[in-house]
Amino acid sequence: MIDALVQGLALVLQWNAFSLMLVGMALGFVVGLLPGIGGAATLALMLPFVFKMSPVEAFAFLLGMHSVAATTGDITSILFGVPGEGLSAATVVDGHPMAKRGEAARALGAALMSSLVGALIGAAALAVSIPIVRPLVLTFGSPELFMVTVMGIACITSLSGQGTRAQIKGFAMGFLGLLLATIGQERQSGILRFDFGLIYLWEGLDLIPVLVGIFAIPEIIDLAVRGTSIAGNAPAAKLGAGVWEGIKDTFRHFWLVVRCSMVGVFVGILPGAGGGVAQWMAYAHAAQSAKDATDRSRFGTGDVRGVLGPGAANNSKEGGDLIPTIAFGVPGSGAMAILLGAFLIMGLHPGPDMLTKHLAVTYSMVWTLVIANVITVIACLALLPYLAYVTRIRGSVIIPFLLLLVFVGSYTANKQIADLLVTLAAGALGYLMVRFEWPRAPLVLGFVLGKLAETYLFISMARYGYSWLGQPLVIVLIVLTAAVVAYPYFQDRRIRAA
Amino acid sequence: MRLSGAAVFSFGLAAAAAYAVFAALRWPPKAALFPLTMGIPLLVLAVAQTVVELRDPPGQGGPDGATRRAFAVFAWMASFIVLVLLAGFPIAVPVFVFLYLVMESREKLVLSIALAAAAWGGFYLLFQRLLHFPFEDGLIRGWFQ
Repeated sequence: MIDALVQGLALVLQWNAFSLMLVGMALGFVVGLLPGIGGAATLALMLPFVFKMSPVEAFAFLLGMHSVAATTGDITSILFGVPGEGLSAATVVDGHPMAKRGEAARALGAALMSSLVGALIGAAALAVSIPIVRPLVLTFGSPELFMVTVMGIACITSLSGQGTRAQIKGFAMGFLGLLLATIGQERQSGILRFDFGLIYLWEGLDLIPVLVGIFAIPEIIDLAVRGTSIAGNAPAAKLGAGVWEGIKDTFRHFWLVVRCSMVGVFVGILPGAGGGVAQWMAYAHAAQSAKDATDRSRFGTGDVRGVLGPGAANNSKEGGDLIPTIAFGVPGSGAMAILLGAFLIMGLHPGPDMLTKHLAVTYSMVWTLVIANVITVIACLALLPYLAYVTRIRGSVIIPFLLLLVFVGSYTANKQIADLLVTLAAGALGYLMVRFEWPRAPLVLGFVLGKLAETYLFISMARYGYSWLGQPLVIVLIVLTAAVVAYPYFQDRRIRAA
Repeated sequence: MRLSGAAVFSFGLAAAAAYAVFAALRWPPKAALFPLTMGIPLLVLAVAQTVVELRDPPGQGGPDGATRRAFAVFAWMASFIVLVLLAGFPIAVPVFVFLYLVMESREKLVLSIALAAAAWGGFYLLFQRLLHFPFEDGLIRGWFQ
């Protein structure tokens, strides 16, 4: 194994593979800044270029691009409130309020450093778990996967804010998100739900236009209303400073970063879950980890922990995603399904061969994840003080560019004009939610997890009837879900009693 | 009791939930289970929130002219979508940036032209030269073909 690890490193450091990785990283850096055309879409666009490459070169190019897109997505999320890589919306919730306070550099430093730690943990998980992951993946059938999604949805209690009114609003938004996820053709019976006679809605609402609309448009309107730059009246000297503070934040909350990275790896391993789920579950976990209700209420207003958790999970899930893709040929996300195409183009067959005959190629992927992330973070850290000054540009000048980011990004996700209308409608909903103080995070959590939850529930019911509720691991997960729901209430009661 | 914007929003949410529940009642059980399980609690919570907002209306939030500015931004966004539909992205991008900067932001003409050209250049280089991303032509081009 050690030989293969060293051999994998040597393969990535070969001139051809390394230079192609740098090209992929440069491309990933740019597309990561745009919503919509994220890692998965770029992988698909670049797939035709790998035909003449060797397997190591192809994976260095594709994985270098994909892993960097996940990192740089946080930059636009924090600076402009526009989810950069589409799924990196959870970083907006606390990252953008920090930028508005003049702490963009600190937020970016924290996001990048936690991304690096997350990527390293993801790569380590990939390296060590390939031989042992099979039993874990096989243990998680549809009932267990359904309970994992329910546990994620249960995190709404932590994202809803303090007091009965806030909880009512939080849960209502969670249910609305779950309801929005039911739009489209029901997979078991083929019934069209809430389609209003529109073919566009048969496939349901796409995540990217909804996320971008709900988060970015209210921020752009806020910028227009304030009539200032993003950082407002924050002193110019403060903007570029704080990068090191953000890096130190990562190590101040190191165990939170590690736990959120593990959430990312775990969600990455689960087939079909995807990056959005990992980020939001990590964000919910970070909020859940707050000391008390007052501490929890800081989330959403610019708490650095709300940046660290999603940042770490976003990158660690790349390693997790690769585990079932390489070991079984079961892609954990859309991007991995495209990468699976690259395997077949290269004449490689995911499965036992990747763990024996092609182990060096497998480890070259681990090294690509590590090297690409280290180089990106070093390059970004050098640029950060300058990037933070973007928040000083007059709002009146930057708004049309932000609107372009939003709408071009939404369109490039599916190449549908109707997505632009969905973005606008989601933006109107997001604006009203902000104006009337309804939380947006529970809605997105419900929307992200809703489709998965319904699919897993019906597979469980079709396969096991109601007997799946008695399976040991399901019972453990039910208990854990109850604990997730009850924990904030018990915590508050205990603190009040003390 | 006062009818505030917050109460109207909560009522709208309740109405949407009521519609969802009503629609789901006509579907077979498999298709209806999830929408009903989500729609009924949403309806109850939204009605409760509407009552709360009517009894205890929140104060008027936001600075003066905030709603007018918000409507202006929404109007610009809608205009951009119409422009994309008519002319396609490659033309809509620089035209929109130029018009917004001149008409809404009241920027100088030279700066507006320079920034519109930069927007077009960035868009062209990334999407058309580098990624070869297929953008649809606008309707206008179709009319002339």
